[in-house]
Amino acid sequence: MFLTRSEYDRGVNTFSPEGRLFQVEYAIEAIKLGSTAIGIATSEGVILAVEKRITSPLMEPTTVEKIVEVDKHIGCAVSGLMADSRTMIDRARVECQNHWFIYNEKMTVESAAQAVSNLAIQFGDSDDDGSAMSRPFGVAILFAGIDEKGPQLFHMDPSGTFVQFDAKAIGSGSEGAQQSLQEVYHKSMTLKEATTSALTILKQVMEEKLNETNIEVMTMTPGAFFHMFSKAELQKIVENLPNAREEAPKPRSDSGATPSIKPAAISSG
Amino acid sequence: MSSVLVPEIPAPGFSFDLCQRNNFLSKKGFQVPKAIKTGTTIAGIVYKDGVILGADTRATEDTIVADKNCRKIHYLAQNMYVCGAGTAADTDMTSQMIASQLELHRLNTGRIVPVCTANAMLKQLLFRHQGHIGAALVLGGVDLDGPHLHCIFPHGSSDTQQYTTMGSGSLAAMAVFESRWKPGLSEEEGKELVADAIRAGVFNDLASGSNVDLCIIRKGSVEYIRPYDVANVKGVKQSSYRYKRGTTAVLAQTIRPIIIEKETICKVDTESMDTSS
Amino acid sequence: MAMLNEYSGRNLPDYEFEAVKKVHFSPYADNGGSVIALAGDDFCIIAGDTRLSSGFSIYTREQQKLFPLSNTTVLGCSGCWCDTLTLTRILSARMQMYKHEHHKEMSTPAAAQMLSTMLYYKRFFPYYVSNMLAGLDENGKGCVYSYDPIGHCERSNYRAGGSAGALLQPLLDNQVGYKNQEGVDPTPLSQERALSIIKDVFISAAERDIYTGDGISIKIITKDGVKNESFSLRKD
Repeated sequence: MFLTRSEYDRGVNTFSPEGRLFQVEYAIEAIKLGSTAIGIATSEGVILAVEKRITSPLMEPTTVEKIVEVDKHIGCAVSGLMADSRTMIDRARVECQNHWFIYNEKMTVESAAQAVSNLAIQFGDSDDDGSAMSRPFGVAILFAGIDEKGPQLFHMDPSGTFVQFDAKAIGSGSEGAQQSLQEVYHKSMTLKEATTSALTILKQVMEEKLNETNIEVMTMTPGAFFHMFSKAELQKIVENLPNAREEAPKPRSDSGATPSIKPAAISSG
Repeated sequence: MSSVLVPEIPAPGFSFDLCQRNNFLSKKGFQVPKAIKTGTTIAGIVYKDGVILGADTRATEDTIVADKNCRKIHYLAQNMYVCGAGTAADTDMTSQMIASQLELHRLNTGRIVPVCTANAMLKQLLFRHQGHIGAALVLGGVDLDGPHLHCIFPHGSSDTQQYTTMGSGSLAAMAVFESRWKPGLSEEEGKELVADAIRAGVFNDLASGSNVDLCIIRKGSVEYIRPYDVANVKGVKQSSYRYKRGTTAVLAQTIRPIIIEKETICKVDTESMDTSS
Repeated sequence: MAMLNEYSGRNLPDYEFEAVKKVHFSPYADNGGSVIALAGDDFCIIAGDTRLSSGFSIYTREQQKLFPLSNTTVLGCSGCWCDTLTLTRILSARMQMYKHEHHKEMSTPAAAQMLSTMLYYKRFFPYYVSNMLAGLDENGKGCVYSYDPIGHCERSNYRAGGSAGALLQPLLDNQVGYKNQEGVDPTPLSQERALSIIKDVFISAAERDIYTGDGISIKIITKDGVKNESFSLRKD
């Protein structure tokens, strides 16, 4: 396996005999090095929470931006190569504005994900499109938004595959966090509960101690739309977080603990 | 009382006083007002006993119908009528001017004026004005030599024919004549043929429309039928558009009292009857 | 047999002579036609005459000028017919693409905005078409959007456009908009009244506009779909 891999892992547009595109798979691996981001969709709105890795005390934490506004009604959390994410967020913003310009209506979250997905798969060394990337983007994105179907959460990976989730974690702590999300998530969750759960889980999977400067939290609600938590707001929530040791998130009795993953229009391969 | 501006007896002929000024204005970009054109279908045929003239009744101002029932067959003399197409004012005035000259001619000579005389007078008038009088005419009449039919173009040329059409609907009307006219038609056949020719123009030429007028000139008698056929009936309105009393806004109202300055009473006595004579 | 228009008299100024005339390409034609749309609380009616003409001749007496774009949107076009054909084909293609991309039917307000951008896209070589978009908005209320050839868009409740537009709009202002009427309480437009106004207004247009006549086709848009009607006019 490893031997065959080394022969087919150079070209981004060459399938291995087993039918795999290794560069894309490596790109997905790259996400696992990124900072953790968690998204939960509830009936009241969507919450995104991310960790910011402050690698030096001399670093200015506010310049690390992992949650961004795409349009009034769509926000994104990114994990992976931040430089790549800028390109993709730019595209998402342009597509949303273009949709508004042409149709005078809000772009749906799914359409925004689709638009970014179109950019994500434009890699390779094709000549016809000069602006194409030579490698896959090393970014995973969580799209949180409100449209006519209500609060929605979409996840997209470097292969351009996007799927709708009730709750999703990406980044280095995603495996453990996703497990915890499955345990705590239930359909009738309030936004406040979701915020607490997201931060509790984030606290567990983060290497550093969670505080108001090394996280970002955003809520997307039908009334206020994109709302980024201020430092004061974060402080208040962090203080009230249950102690991880005492009160680890337990599976709820009323929830089946089965994660409901809704496949989007393009199913993950 | 006469003045320089309004002479008691106007100088004969057209006044060209404003030509230079108007030319100057239009060069500066002034839009010259458009004249009403009778974008028209007019036609005439010779039949067994005389001449039948026909015309539609629409007058247009560019793409707007200016008159839905206008008269396009004009009187020239007791034995002569003329159909006019082109600029409405030109056809009206030309036929009136020639009609008065023909009447003077009849009085001077004391005989029925021949149709060729009217033809000559019309074409000379039009030629003199070099096409600036926009009148295209179909002249028909009966004189001592029998029925005659001429068509006269705005620049002063004329043709003598057995059947002819003029105006923007002339092609549609001529198509009917070319397929169905033959010498020695009866009056009924002739009337239907001319009416059909006019109808062809009414329905297929957008500048022609509304009704069909006919004028039948026989030896010694004329029958002017207006309308001969109402080819198009106005649609029936679905609802009423009468307004309630008080719908029109009164913007201002002023009441001025009549001030009585002086009051005098004159008593009128009953006069006694005059029985003196 | 000569036609009248040959006699456009020469109008030469003194001491000048007629130079060689530059004949330039004229890509547009005016094929006439009128379109009217009225919006009610839960319906919208759009009607167009069926005469297609050029100059003084009629091309056909039965040309549909209304184009259903979706179950709740109908476009009415008049002006240059070849531009109408191209524009409506591109429009329906865009509607189809939208449906596939966004998994839903395009709403009338969205279609209205898209038409505006499509027209402005050709700002310096416009589609010579007078457009009128009728349909139901996201609340199910009737809406009418009218355009100029280069994409100005305006939403209203009643509108007349095309060759007899200028003749009919004042009539609609008075009868539907209750303009210049004193002491009248504006009653909401019923479907029956809207229909009879449209027919009457076209009867009047056919009287005075040479490019409007032969007949009208009417489309009544409600939440249950689009219903068709027709009505004949004078043919001269």
